[in-house]
Amino acid sequence: MSTETTRTTPTFASRLVPSVVRQSHGLQRFMLLLGFVIIALFVLVAVFAPWIAPYGFNQDRADGVVFGAQQAPSAAHWLGTTVGGTDVLSRVVFGTRTAVEVIVLAVILSSVVGVPLGLLSGFIGGAFDRVLVLVMDALYAFPSLLLAIVVSIVLSGGSSGAVGGILSAAISITVIFIPQYFRVVRNATISVKVEPYVDAARVVGVRTPRILGRHIFSNVAQTLPVIATLNASEAILTLAGLGFLGFGIEPSAAAEWGYDLNKALPDATNGIWWTGLFPGLAIVLIVLGVTLVGESLNDILNPLLRTRSAETSHDVEELEEVVAEVEADAPATPAVSTRPRDPGGPPDDPGRRVAALSLTDLAVSFRTDAGPVEAVRGISFDVAPGEVVAVVGESGSGKSVSSRAVLGLLPTTASVSGSALLTRAQHGGDQHRDEEPRELIGMSNADLRPIRGDEVSMVFQEPSTALNPVYTVGWQIIEGLRAHDSSLTKKDARTRAVELLDLVGLPDPEHRVDYYPHQLSGGQKQRVVIAMAIACDPDVIIADEPTTALDVTVQAAILELLLSLRDRLGTAIVLITHNMGVVADVADRVMVMYRGSIVEQADVDALFSAPKHPYTRALLDAVPHLGREDGPGEVAGSADVVLQVQDLVVEFPGRLGQPPFRAVDDVSFQIRRGEVLGLVGESGSGKSTVGRTTVGLQQPTSGSVSVSGTTVSGLSDKELRPLRKRFGFVFQDPAASLNPRMSISGCIGEPLRTQTDQSEQQVEARVAELLESVELPAAFARRFPHELSGGQRQRVSLARALALDPDLLIADEPTSALDVSVQSRVLELFVELQQRLEFACLFISHDLAVVDSLANRVAVMQHGRLVEIGPREAVLGSPREEYTQRLIAAVPVPDPAEQRRRREARGSLLTDVD
Amino acid sequence: MSSAEILGPTDPPVAEPPRRRRGGPHSRLRSPLVRYLLVRLALVIPMLWILVTLVFVLMRVIGDPITAANGGRLTPAQIAERKAEAGLDRPLIQQYWEYVTGLLHGDFGTTLTDHRPISDILVVNGAATLELSIYALVVAFAVGVPLGRLAARYRDRWPDVVLRLFSILVYAAPVFFVGLLLKLAFTPFGWPSSGRASTTTELALEDVSPKTHIYLIDSILYGDPGYIWDVVQHAILPAVALGLLTGGVFLRLVRINLLQTLRMDYVTAARARGVSERRVVRKHAFRNALVPVVTVMGMQIAMLLAGAVLTETTFEWQGIGYELAQYLIKRDFLAVQGIVTLIALVVCLASFLIDVIVALVDPRVRF
Repeated sequence: MSTETTRTTPTFASRLVPSVVRQSHGLQRFMLLLGFVIIALFVLVAVFAPWIAPYGFNQDRADGVVFGAQQAPSAAHWLGTTVGGTDVLSRVVFGTRTAVEVIVLAVILSSVVGVPLGLLSGFIGGAFDRVLVLVMDALYAFPSLLLAIVVSIVLSGGSSGAVGGILSAAISITVIFIPQYFRVVRNATISVKVEPYVDAARVVGVRTPRILGRHIFSNVAQTLPVIATLNASEAILTLAGLGFLGFGIEPSAAAEWGYDLNKALPDATNGIWWTGLFPGLAIVLIVLGVTLVGESLNDILNPLLRTRSAETSHDVEELEEVVAEVEADAPATPAVSTRPRDPGGPPDDPGRRVAALSLTDLAVSFRTDAGPVEAVRGISFDVAPGEVVAVVGESGSGKSVSSRAVLGLLPTTASVSGSALLTRAQHGGDQHRDEEPRELIGMSNADLRPIRGDEVSMVFQEPSTALNPVYTVGWQIIEGLRAHDSSLTKKDARTRAVELLDLVGLPDPEHRVDYYPHQLSGGQKQRVVIAMAIACDPDVIIADEPTTALDVTVQAAILELLLSLRDRLGTAIVLITHNMGVVADVADRVMVMYRGSIVEQADVDALFSAPKHPYTRALLDAVPHLGREDGPGEVAGSADVVLQVQDLVVEFPGRLGQPPFRAVDDVSFQIRRGEVLGLVGESGSGKSTVGRTTVGLQQPTSGSVSVSGTTVSGLSDKELRPLRKRFGFVFQDPAASLNPRMSISGCIGEPLRTQTDQSEQQVEARVAELLESVELPAAFARRFPHELSGGQRQRVSLARALALDPDLLIADEPTSALDVSVQSRVLELFVELQQRLEFACLFISHDLAVVDSLANRVAVMQHGRLVEIGPREAVLGSPREEYTQRLIAAVPVPDPAEQRRRREARGSLLTDVD
Repeated sequence: MSSAEILGPTDPPVAEPPRRRRGGPHSRLRSPLVRYLLVRLALVIPMLWILVTLVFVLMRVIGDPITAANGGRLTPAQIAERKAEAGLDRPLIQQYWEYVTGLLHGDFGTTLTDHRPISDILVVNGAATLELSIYALVVAFAVGVPLGRLAARYRDRWPDVVLRLFSILVYAAPVFFVGLLLKLAFTPFGWPSSGRASTTTELALEDVSPKTHIYLIDSILYGDPGYIWDVVQHAILPAVALGLLTGGVFLRLVRINLLQTLRMDYVTAARARGVSERRVVRKHAFRNALVPVVTVMGMQIAMLLAGAVLTETTFEWQGIGYELAQYLIKRDFLAVQGIVTLIALVVCLASFLIDVIVALVDPRVRF
């Protein structure tokens, strides 16, 4: 970025540039700085052109002596003279001035027009947006140089010569850049517009111009330096192109490189090299400088290309705090992590046990820009055939990294040490029993390849990204089969793929084998991923959070499938998860990981009944448990009704020619003062839409919503604004619901500043008070969201939601993005505040156990309809509806004995719901 | 010459639904290929209309074409007479109507200065531009795709650094400067550096057997190896100049998209099931990386045409761009209007074709 473009966005650039240099490394930084140096040089030349150039740009004689045309470089004319008899060096120097002037003007003009247009178009949407997009696309598709020529003729060559040469050239170039700014800003606006922090601002009644400025523009502006630099280089090339074709600046008005190149063109065939070479090199060099800066900025700012680890230290600190707290409560017994005693093992396991996979002192560290980060610090465990070993831990504990290290699937920035021995046992009878164990760590990619998928395979967390969208699922299964058995014919492989899909319970496998991943549901995709994992009868399956992305009923079915495969094929399974319920449900043995080490390993029953390490105890204490006896009861029927939802219907328009999609279908309920209504349902059940409609983020198609007796549905934004102080909203993802560019004080104070006339001191005082009530130090007010941990951020959103003392609080999955030990502390705080302030609360969650711990009443939604509503202990304890029964049966409870009983009891209730 | 070829792949998709539901069944909501293409085709029409109208308006803002072309040389009475003759004294809306209906019948108008039908320019000079564009695309692919893969493979190591510098240099050097350097370098060896063929070849191909107006095909049909060699020789320098420009863009696009897809889960998943590294790159990363590359290529067509104006002027290659520049200099705005409209048509059709290709590569669009 040149100093000129910096000037257009001073506050932003001054904040950005140093951080960009800090974020860059090695080569990137070199390219960035080189670019800056080149640009600075050109700017200096431009500014001091009259002093640097030996002659004037149109001067063809000095002291009455004519220079002469096409003179070769000499002492008097270092770069020779042109065909017009002027000094080449002087023309190049003055050309720099022209170029810099035009760039600066063009970049300023086009951003001044394009950015607001893009913001408005993206924000307002609708017909306005569609028409603008069409016009801009048409302009964009058109060859830009031709457009610039036409505009420059309109401006100067036509009837009027009102605009000066440089300005007219800049305007011609501007016209072709406006669509680019427009497109980028519009697209960024559209993606920022749906960010929770923009919703959060709308919920508290922030006016549109402020939302556009404070919340959207400040975040969209990140992309602008990149476009500005890239446009600057195009501006130079377009200017030169115009000059070359003879439509640029009048030759008498200023020196211009493109014009000079045109004049030099005939010279090229005559061996006169100096007239064209130098202006051309000037163009190349300045474009090079600007492009280097733009490219490195793009590279550095593109999150997809970063090599750094995303893990924040704040979350680690928070976990340490939790553990410290538990240790303080009960002094730690020495954490004995013994090698396994006799493992549970599968029932049909013969007395002698051969570990299929055995890890010893496995350690992984990553090279990052901030120095090496130790992700796994020497862990050891093994897994036997037919055994399920669960590796539990919270985010950043290193559980996924260790499993990927085994298969050599980590990026090149990782270094792995220790040992992972793979023993191929009991395969095809006894003859392989004594086969030598092989060391996987340090094995080359080529040697590992036959092992991957054939002997050790993986199941991934997110089935929608683990399948390649451009190939059919059958193709991908066949690919894996043929990678290990090249003699397999395509036809046989296909038959086998169909068999595998049938085996994992995908209905209608003969047809579905030809489906593309996006044609299957999430659970079906995970079945396909599992089919791939078992395709070659592996000895070990590493399942990395295989059910985390799935709904609870689908999760139960997938776990069922994994267990049945273990029983049928005798596979060893390493199950990586953070969900203690899943662990209790399926694991034989458990490894608890904490900050890269295994802090405890035990059989599943021992772990849950007598956890030894403080962290394990903290973790188990924190897990909400469905079916507690001591949950909250009903509130008195005499309390005021705060929220009344009546016959609510919300429809979303369908695609062209499709019927509208009914997200909420005839839902009615009410919440009284001091009451918490837990709204539960699986993804797509419409529960979030109910919450959004309640606070006016979504208009109902029919039906009504009233808060404290005032109807709020169907009101315009303006009419709704004074009512906004009656409700608060807590969003799912604390990282996304706080504007990254606003301080904590700004975030919490925004509702106060919008809704009240309090002075700045009063607001600050109230912010401090609110911070205290959510148990955060007052000094946090000056921090920015990224400096806080996940749990702290969610406390801040809670403080913001409570800033105006609302009658009603809507919490949409407030803790689902948090680790379980952090979640429990946030929930505790929430319950305490709710009891103290007595607000009514609609608590939306997919997690029945969480709802069970804090709701007075529970409502269950499915496919947009309210299935069941009633007191907590009735709905969750003895549900009447079959769907509720299924939902509850599917939830694994963190208690192996109880879960075993539940598993048997549920029997046929849980049929596949895919 | 557009920033979007770099920013393009990172732009959020325009029509992405705001919230992604976890694994919801959305397969039934997808429209089939035919519907997709019909919608795309329907979008071409308003786009074309906007461009045609824009060209018309801009050309009339300049002033009337007769005065522009002959100002100063004719008396006001003569100008008025000529305007009446060309129908330019009638109301603007009527002229616009006739212009648009004329276009619908395939009548692009006639040039003012040499009374040549624009459709004739399309046939003769259009073929020349098409020929040059194809050569340039061949060069661009040959340079951009393999080198982009190489750069991605050696990310942040020296081949990557060299190739990225190369791509920036190629982008930074205007096509007419590259042309000038090529001329400087090759004319001393007597290599032809202007025109589409030497005079004798041209006479033979244009007057004796004009068939496709694509010289390479015509000369092959004519069957004289001397002519073929002459045509090839003339084509190489302009094709390299224009092709390098586009090739640099391809290189960067392929590199960045390949790097992004190589980080996808499905690539790790493919490795985890034992697929060989070569196959992972070829089948999984490369094909997926091509989707955005193809999309941006649609925009490159416009860039190629703009570049062609400069390249054709540099090498006196008598294509549409060369003619356009000549008519612009002569201030023949009826000719300019016709040619620019023609280019708009080509751009719209190209963007539609690109949509078809994207649909063929990406099944998510198809179903």
